[in-house]
Amino acid sequence: MRKLDKHLWWALAAALLSAVAFLWASPFLWTLVASFRPEGAGSADMASLLPDLHPTLENFRTALESGSFGIYYVNTLIVVTGVLAVQCVTVSLAGYAFARLRFPGRDFLFYAFLLQLMLVPPALIVPNLRTVVDLGLYDSLPGVMAPYFASAFGTFLMRQTFLALPRDFEEAAAIDGAPWWAIIWYVLLPMAKPGLIAFAIVSVTAHWNEFLWPLMVISSPANQTLTIGLAAFTMGAESGKEWGVLAAGTLLVMAPLAVAFIAFQRRFVDSFVFSGVKG
Amino acid sequence: MTIVARVGATALALSLVGAAPVWAQTKIEFFFPVPVEGKLAREMTRLVKLHNDSQKEVEVTAAYTGGYDDTKLKAQAAAKAGKPPSVVLMSANFNVDLKLSGDILSLEPMLKADGTTREEFLKDFWPALHANATVDGELYGVPFHNSTPLLYYNVDHFKEAGLDPAKPPRTWAELVDAAKKLTKGDRYGFLMPAGYDYLGWLMEAFTLSNGGRYFNEDYGGEVYYDEPSMLGAARFVEDLIFKHKVMQQGVTEAGGVSTAFFAGKASMVLLSTGSLSFIRENMKQAYDVAFVPKNVRNAVPIGGASLVMFAGQNDESRKAGWKFIKWLTTPQTLGGWSRFTGYFSPRKSAYDMPEMKEFLAKNPDAKVALDQLPYAKPWFATYQTVAVRKALEDEIQAMMNGKKKAEQAVKDAQKKADELMRPYVEQTSLKVP
Repeated sequence: MRKLDKHLWWALAAALLSAVAFLWASPFLWTLVASFRPEGAGSADMASLLPDLHPTLENFRTALESGSFGIYYVNTLIVVTGVLAVQCVTVSLAGYAFARLRFPGRDFLFYAFLLQLMLVPPALIVPNLRTVVDLGLYDSLPGVMAPYFASAFGTFLMRQTFLALPRDFEEAAAIDGAPWWAIIWYVLLPMAKPGLIAFAIVSVTAHWNEFLWPLMVISSPANQTLTIGLAAFTMGAESGKEWGVLAAGTLLVMAPLAVAFIAFQRRFVDSFVFSGVKG
Repeated sequence: MTIVARVGATALALSLVGAAPVWAQTKIEFFFPVPVEGKLAREMTRLVKLHNDSQKEVEVTAAYTGGYDDTKLKAQAAAKAGKPPSVVLMSANFNVDLKLSGDILSLEPMLKADGTTREEFLKDFWPALHANATVDGELYGVPFHNSTPLLYYNVDHFKEAGLDPAKPPRTWAELVDAAKKLTKGDRYGFLMPAGYDYLGWLMEAFTLSNGGRYFNEDYGGEVYYDEPSMLGAARFVEDLIFKHKVMQQGVTEAGGVSTAFFAGKASMVLLSTGSLSFIRENMKQAYDVAFVPKNVRNAVPIGGASLVMFAGQNDESRKAGWKFIKWLTTPQTLGGWSRFTGYFSPRKSAYDMPEMKEFLAKNPDAKVALDQLPYAKPWFATYQTVAVRKALEDEIQAMMNGKKKAEQAVKDAQKKADELMRPYVEQTSLKVP
């Protein structure tokens, strides 16, 4: 009897979880199904989640033809990796300074730094754009990246990560005569990997999906990024929506990130769980 | 290709590059929004390439810049940062706002340099477009593609409900009558987009058809929301939903409306003439189009976009931009764009061309859109156009959701709009000696 009860509860819990998972996944499912459905705009069962019997690649062809997606992918990749590479250097150094160095006004400076998080990005568009123009970076990919080279969130995250590490390792290295940069590079950073990876995930998704800022900086078609390419489908104001093409375009934009996350999912989780951080 | 041929070709290419008078070329930027679908951006890119290949003096870089609102935001931000675009395709009712903020240039000096006058220049453009092209009696925008609302209806549904498809509803009373007969099961007799931008435009169509004006065409500080003409229009929409029950409750976006029409879930829809090509390509069942039904008179607002020039560019760039605008607005280019998109051409002479006559003979629905033009009125344009429009849209949306009555909605909308326009009004009409 008790055993039956237990089974019943298990089944109930599983059913409930599946229902929630289904709800969560249905937009993705719909995008996937709709992108392969012929003539999405005209069909009555546009909203259906059931795949069509005659899947077609037509929507992907139309989507690919409406922009130079090859260039968009390359540009987005350059922006995302460029931003991340510089950020890794700046946030770990700044995080180290705020966590380990002693200097007057350190905490005040740190909180002032954090205040940046409270500013809504659109308020900074014009001042940032002016700076980018003054630096001669208007309409270039470095111009898109420049405002993100320093990150308040990343600095905060790395400071917290460093604070959680025991000082013993550094002191041991210092006694052996390691200079400060060697301590960071050989001792602290390897232990702070989970923090860096967590930050990388946030940074990459944010800049991959960003629309407004690249739109402001970039004018030449050769410098445009994926999200601006996608705008060509989604901004249709006066015509209707070609749902199939829209879904195909969306899929094209999000596919690389989705594939990367699915492929490295285990690694990401592992690095959180099994890293050397126990402090 | 052999190596020799390749070297030869390279040498030839190099000599051509060397021969071109590089110093004479002016490079300018052109921003355009994507009001239809991706293929429109491609067509625009093709046009600009055609322009660049056709002559050597002006090289245009075309950038598509998101929706109408994004385009305004980007152009203004770029201008503030010292990189104003030369030419921008801008929503036709932003001109007043952009002129008041000092962002766009009067085109009068260019007309003068060409030895022509505003009257002469605008003669070939439909009279309904003149008001949105000028601000305070000066030319600020050159119309590029334009639209009006249009009633699309499902011919099969009409037959099935015992209505004559050759006689679509001409008045509000006939519309309600037909919609009642057409509503059946999960099918609605009538549906209209009620998202931002579209709703304000359609409410203007209703208030105009009701004898009203929506805004003061000559002065950017007045709108007529709390007036009998707008109250009647709001009540009409409210009744369609709650009294006659022929329209879905709540706010449906334009994409949802066209999809419902294609799927046979809505028998009559109010959409832009700019959707004509899209509907023609996607509608499986027989459909036809008709004028927007009237209560007091036939009248519809203009929509679409105009080419404007931004302040802050040097003389050379201004001249190049004006040349490009003239190239883009020839009857040939405008006619071709019109056939491609479904918008109507702002130039009358575009319709005298043989390709256009052939097109209209083949597509009688485009002819109906054209016939409605003599009844067109200017698109609302005030100080803070977008915010003043949203003041009305927010209230009407609340009404469509059943949260407010029409009387209260127009009163509250008027109050909010007046508050928004107060700074301008106090600087102008209320500033008395």
